[in-house]
Amino acid sequence: MRSSAVDKGLRTGVVFGIVIVTMFLIGFTVTGAGLVGKIFGVQSSYSTPPLVFFSIFMILVGAWAGVTASPRPLLEADTWNRALLAGGSSGAVSGLFSAIIGFLFGELNSNRIDPRTYLPSVSPESIKMFLFDQTPFIGSLLMFALMTGSGLAAAALSFYLRNNGAVRSSLRKASESVWDSIRSERVSNIIQNKYTRYASLLAFAAILIILPRTWGGYWNYVFGTVGIYIILGLGLNIITGWAGQLVIGYVAFFAVGAYTFALLTAPEPHHLMMNFWVALGLGVLAAAISGLLIGLPILNLRGDYLAIVTLGFAEIIRILLKSDLMTPYTAGPRGIRDIAGPTILGKSFISDVDFMYLIIIAVLVVTFLANRLQNSRTGKAWYAINLDETVARATGINAFASKLLALSLSAAVAGLAGVLFASRNQFTGPDDHALMVSINVICLVIVGGIGNIPGIFLGAFALKGLPEILRETENYRLLIFGVLLIVMMRLRPEGFLPAKRPELEKASVQNPLGKEA
Amino acid sequence: MMLKVESLQVFYGAIHALQGISFHLEKGEIVALIGANGAGKSTVLNTVSGILRPREGAVAFEDQEIHEVPPQEIVRRGVIQVPEGRKIFSRMTVTENLEMGAYTHTDRAEIARDMESVFERFSRLRERRNQLGGTLSGGEQQMLAIGRGLMAHPTLLLLDEPSMGLSPILVEQIFDIIQDINEQGTSILLVEQNAQMALAIADRAYVLETGKIVMQGTGDDLLKDPSVIEAYLGGH
Ligand SMILES: Nc1ncnc2c1ncn2[C@@H]1O[C@H](COP(=O)(O)OP(=O)(O)O)[C@@H](O)[C@H]1O
Ligand SMILES: [Mg+2]
Repeated sequence: MRSSAVDKGLRTGVVFGIVIVTMFLIGFTVTGAGLVGKIFGVQSSYSTPPLVFFSIFMILVGAWAGVTASPRPLLEADTWNRALLAGGSSGAVSGLFSAIIGFLFGELNSNRIDPRTYLPSVSPESIKMFLFDQTPFIGSLLMFALMTGSGLAAAALSFYLRNNGAVRSSLRKASESVWDSIRSERVSNIIQNKYTRYASLLAFAAILIILPRTWGGYWNYVFGTVGIYIILGLGLNIITGWAGQLVIGYVAFFAVGAYTFALLTAPEPHHLMMNFWVALGLGVLAAAISGLLIGLPILNLRGDYLAIVTLGFAEIIRILLKSDLMTPYTAGPRGIRDIAGPTILGKSFISDVDFMYLIIIAVLVVTFLANRLQNSRTGKAWYAINLDETVARATGINAFASKLLALSLSAAVAGLAGVLFASRNQFTGPDDHALMVSINVICLVIVGGIGNIPGIFLGAFALKGLPEILRETENYRLLIFGVLLIVMMRLRPEGFLPAKRPELEKASVQNPLGKEA
Repeated sequence: MMLKVESLQVFYGAIHALQGISFHLEKGEIVALIGANGAGKSTVLNTVSGILRPREGAVAFEDQEIHEVPPQEIVRRGVIQVPEGRKIFSRMTVTENLEMGAYTHTDRAEIARDMESVFERFSRLRERRNQLGGTLSGGEQQMLAIGRGLMAHPTLLLLDEPSMGLSPILVEQIFDIIQDINEQGTSILLVEQNAQMALAIADRAYVLETGKIVMQGTGDDLLKDPSVIEAYLGGH
């Protein structure tokens, strides 16, 4: 029994050790320390953050290693011995990894060898910080002690919290009383009351009206981007989430919308100078038609052709936009400048506040339409195709037409997002339409919960809003996406807010095994 | 004549799955199509449903050719397939599955009435109406698949191996239900590997072997035929 605890501790420790070494090699230890500093209200974007924050960061990592290794109640015999052994060995092993890497680089550094030729993120400052400003020997000892200690302490603490009757019962009591008060008639009356519903709608509307006025240009820009990505997510969700057809090159339709709008309203290269609203309509239409044209030859084929064809389409568009060949028509690699902003009755309104309102309205409209679509006959047909295309066709669904409709609606929504994007920035160029946009949208739909509208909001905030708030992590965005996706797939394979299938819970209670009576 | 299939040739790429098949079905009949795994039974049903296209030959339903009509239109005309392997929508509830069956109908009141009559026939489904299809037992899933077919008001019901993977008691029940549906006026084309049961309820039957019809006759005659007994009834 005891050896199994150590065993688990060692394995966890190795994993955490590798993670720490990787973090060090890519320079994330400095970033992490900066993030901790930010939590305490100390900005240190341009200088090395103070040592104390680095220490806290490493203590947190060590504690995580300790808690991860410590025994799970219900599954294993839960004793002090086991908890301490597992937590301590996990912390010690990860500490050993950290100490070794710290010592090695410390020695290199004191021999005046600069590792940055091979590892651009390992700066002398980051090495110094990793050794707590000590000599390599003392520093790595300190590191080992710190990690072992925090692993032990965290395992002990989590054991205590799990097993201490008083703590546990008071926690349970607290959560029960919260639940009771939520479930109590008075509260549910208040929630269900027509007037409270109106009031909360009003409050929500007031927030949406007031916020853009008060939080300034920067946040309007950040949340404007989030809004545009919500629209993109809602759009991709139609074809991929509901109809089940993977589209990888979704950015192609975004580009068609943005460029159509840009070419129609900008002074160069064509000087068409069209009205905002007309050009918006045409941009959306052009995107919808491009979706239709892409879908026509391939949507009656089975398999993931759509994924590949759209991927190719997106790359072709981007390369064409960049090429000199197309420069006279699409302004080439320089992009298109002075794209029109919105106007009402001839008066233009292009302040960041106005534009935020426009994006909010667009998000609300698309959300409303998406919600209607989901519950419509068409929406059900999409879902049926998604679940089993042959059976769907056998029940009389025109699968080809349904998928074609889904694709061109998706494309139209992407076109709208593209129009808003180009108009807000008053500029668009080939680099705005790189494949990364598609990947972002796919990630946010998956992370939020594929097929589910609130999930898409959450996903867009998590993937486009959070990185702005946590600016320090900018260089690691791809890494964090990757980690986030893996964690999601392990913990919540259907996303944070999975699409709710009606009565799933009720059904499993009624008939847990689905066996015949 | 309700269904007339003539010299049907169907290919999957280079695979010649149906090699000139002809048969027919009169109004009110149960016609069985029996044959071993891979004989081409499902291919016949999918071609009649319009999901597959024949390279040669013709399919006529109520004296109109349908082999170039799209599947959703064939469904509208009343030819409904219940696919093999209890293909229900596993992530939809029982009610939603039945609603999908009525996809070609729009009259809400009528759909509600139809659903009520399906629930009358399969009371098990009524109890489980809010449950996801995938959580039903095998027999219930087959009932749901048939119920979904009935929601579309079939004149001709195509059943693809309804007894597959079910216990003997359930097979018995399913075949009773099939007979009952037939007695209420729906013609049935029944595809089965379970020749014993299929021949027992069929008016007429055809034996399919590697894409060709090798024998035909009334259900009773085939049940007594020595070569059928040898090949499909376990030699008893
Ligand atoms: N989608 C397909 N692609 C290629 N070959 C197929 C396909 N479906 C069926 N076949 C082949 O066609 C023949 C008839 O299959 P099928 O109609 O499914 O037989 P049955 O329903 O009688 O078991 C088999 O040889 C099978 O391998
Ligand atoms: Mg078959």
